[in-house]
Amino acid sequence: MENEKIQKVPFMDRPIVRNVMPFAGFIFIVLLFTVLTGGQLFTISNLKLLLSQSYVLIIACVGVFMVMTMGGLDFSQGSMLGVCSVVICFLSNYNIFLAIVCGVLTGGVIGLVNGFFNVKRKITSFIVTICNMYLLRGMVAYATTKSPVYGVSNITTYNSMPFNLSFTIIILVVAFVVFQYTGLGNRLKAIGAGETAARFAGVRVERTKMLIYMVAGMITGLAAFINSIKVGSVTSTAGNQLETQIMIALVLGGMPVNGGAKVKFYNIILGALTYKILMAGLVMLGIEPKTQQLITGIVFLVMVAVFADRETGMIVK
Amino acid sequence: MSEVLLHAEKIDKNFSATHAIDHVTLDFYKGEIHALIGENGSGKSTFTSCLTGIYHKDTGTFTLNGKEINAKNQVDGNYQGVAIIVQEIGTLSGLTVAENIFLGKENEFTKLHVKNTKAMNKKAQELLNSYGFDYIKATDIIDKYNFEDRKLIEIVKATHFKPQVLVVDETTTALGEKGRKELFNVMRQTRDDGRCVIFISHDLDEVIEQSDNISVLRDGVLIDTVKSSDVSTDDLKKLMVGREMSNNYYRTDYGEEISSEVVLKAQNVTVPGEIKDFNLELHKGEIIGIGGLSECGMHEVGKALFGASYDREGKVLLANGNEINDIKTAIDNSIAYASKDRDNESLVINDTIQDNICLPSLEDLKRNHILHAKDEKAFAEKFAKQMSTKMEGVHQFMSALSGGNKQKVVLARWIGKDSDIIILDSPTRGIDVKVKADIYQMMDTMRKNGKSIIMISEEIAELLGMADRIIIMKDGITNGEFKRSEDLKDTDLIAKMV
Repeated sequence: MENEKIQKVPFMDRPIVRNVMPFAGFIFIVLLFTVLTGGQLFTISNLKLLLSQSYVLIIACVGVFMVMTMGGLDFSQGSMLGVCSVVICFLSNYNIFLAIVCGVLTGGVIGLVNGFFNVKRKITSFIVTICNMYLLRGMVAYATTKSPVYGVSNITTYNSMPFNLSFTIIILVVAFVVFQYTGLGNRLKAIGAGETAARFAGVRVERTKMLIYMVAGMITGLAAFINSIKVGSVTSTAGNQLETQIMIALVLGGMPVNGGAKVKFYNIILGALTYKILMAGLVMLGIEPKTQQLITGIVFLVMVAVFADRETGMIVK
Repeated sequence: MSEVLLHAEKIDKNFSATHAIDHVTLDFYKGEIHALIGENGSGKSTFTSCLTGIYHKDTGTFTLNGKEINAKNQVDGNYQGVAIIVQEIGTLSGLTVAENIFLGKENEFTKLHVKNTKAMNKKAQELLNSYGFDYIKATDIIDKYNFEDRKLIEIVKATHFKPQVLVVDETTTALGEKGRKELFNVMRQTRDDGRCVIFISHDLDEVIEQSDNISVLRDGVLIDTVKSSDVSTDDLKKLMVGREMSNNYYRTDYGEEISSEVVLKAQNVTVPGEIKDFNLELHKGEIIGIGGLSECGMHEVGKALFGASYDREGKVLLANGNEINDIKTAIDNSIAYASKDRDNESLVINDTIQDNICLPSLEDLKRNHILHAKDEKAFAEKFAKQMSTKMEGVHQFMSALSGGNKQKVVLARWIGKDSDIIILDSPTRGIDVKVKADIYQMMDTMRKNGKSIIMISEEIAELLGMADRIIIMKDGITNGEFKRSEDLKDTDLIAKMV
């Protein structure tokens, strides 16, 4: 009994591989583009530009990260960002704080709608959020038919690196603390890895899911604020394809696409940075957008294949 | 002894970290029923799965009638002369009985690439009739039949072509009296034809009764092969665990006074289609056993008391008058539940041992509202070790553990939560004797510490051996109640079950 024979675990199944691969990928991409761009990508001004383009993605990733940990998906993020931005820009003409609060609330309400159909009507999150993606995109298009929705003229004055950076860091720190030190992370992972068993261990699965969809929406409201102060207005394409960017980023960061126990919080930051550097590098190399899409598609597919947790099975909740 | 039919030479198989079978060399003879026994995770099922093409062995050879065989999958195995009846359900829903019987062999009925369904149905019906299962219609969709009938259909599927070697893997636990009889008939017939049956079962009495020879596996290693007529169940247990079984397998006390303090009360609990007007008073330090046939509703009782049933009516009350209507409230009020469905309901199977043990206790583990990872680890280690869980460490994933060890983690979780009322549904299902003894021991200790236990079980011996009171259910209602006594016989309980 005691003389248990420990055999070698196949290379790809070792935890160390899952933990090291995303970092190795990050370093690889940094080195690759340093060489290819002759170091240009990492000049101070380019880094600043890179960072300024990353805030929205990083913030939005936080909410989706939690949804995906539970084994769900959220495709409505891009359109949601658009709707929230419309609300924020419109209300900023009256009061900037009112604008933020209502932007966040809008996100929360949309999240609740996602949650309602997913939890109460038992439709997979994949379908629900794709429906809402189109529905909300329609709303943005409607609001911006005649002209873009402009924010108050001085709204872009908030757009500074110290403000944006500390705004993002605060969100990350709060999310991290809640995820890691309140047991929420454990519960979300348990739901992702086995919903029924989580319920039988006392996790209030329905309530938690509703809450997380709502919070994910609210966080996107915050991302919409950063987006609004950066652009100053909303057009019909605001937040277009953000949802796919989020998903690619998280997967690049080493997140299993079906969530569960192997999720790590650093997947968010690492993934968002890797994705942004990859995209910036491709732009700098003068690669056409068409080809960029092709390359990201291939990278995404490879990373999903590498990081999916096959034991949990490819079940989208 | 007659000549060798199947020779297994140094069969070896690894599942990532586990060495499931370790160079097993074994002969099976013509005209024998050869039992394979061993604890959970000893490699019995893996061995036969490699033989029949469910898994692929790493190294080694199987030689059937002097010719090496290497089954690529189950159908391929059938054509090479080996067949298996599996432990869990082995038929596919949505297909007809005939389609199930000839699954993967449709080519036998095709002419010019067109399947002759009529001929297949006719052949299937002939086969069913020849086994005496006339009431099963080949053209029916299989979902029409209950679990037991589906097993019978599986028997036809696995044996109609007269395989040289028939593997019966832990099938009997799923069958009732009638099904067992049919299965044993088929096994004996196979033996009498000069073919061979490999029989896997946890029920040692059944093993001795049905088999000619018994091989014992332990941790993937072949320990010994003995003649069934020469051994007793105790001898087998010794071989399986490698040491003497202690005498106090079950409780030995009788006539102990039970406290009058009621800790849990069920009033007219009804779950539509499952149980009706179920009443119960559980006392402090008492073990109540609930028994019956598998479909009698007793498994739903556990869920209902734990607040996990949908549409439950009636009341579940604690001593302080609090009502239990959902799982969270149940757990917060010190009720624990270990489901019969271990992999789906008791455990988050794709999560670590640590997370599984800590999940209900996360709030208790917080210091100043903050959960520390090292507290979780220490907590999990403490209780996993207390249950002597066989593991590499608490970071290990549940899916890598054997059935008995999974159950230990379930129990470690609730011991860690320090629950006062413990509902155990089939706590020893599919678990080997050694772990069983551990679990009974633990239940006895808990009882003495003033914890109350409801044990739902399909094993009569377990009910007689462990419970202070036994409730027998039939068709969703309580049909009999017995007090613990040395004079109580299994026949008394069975009389109330059927």
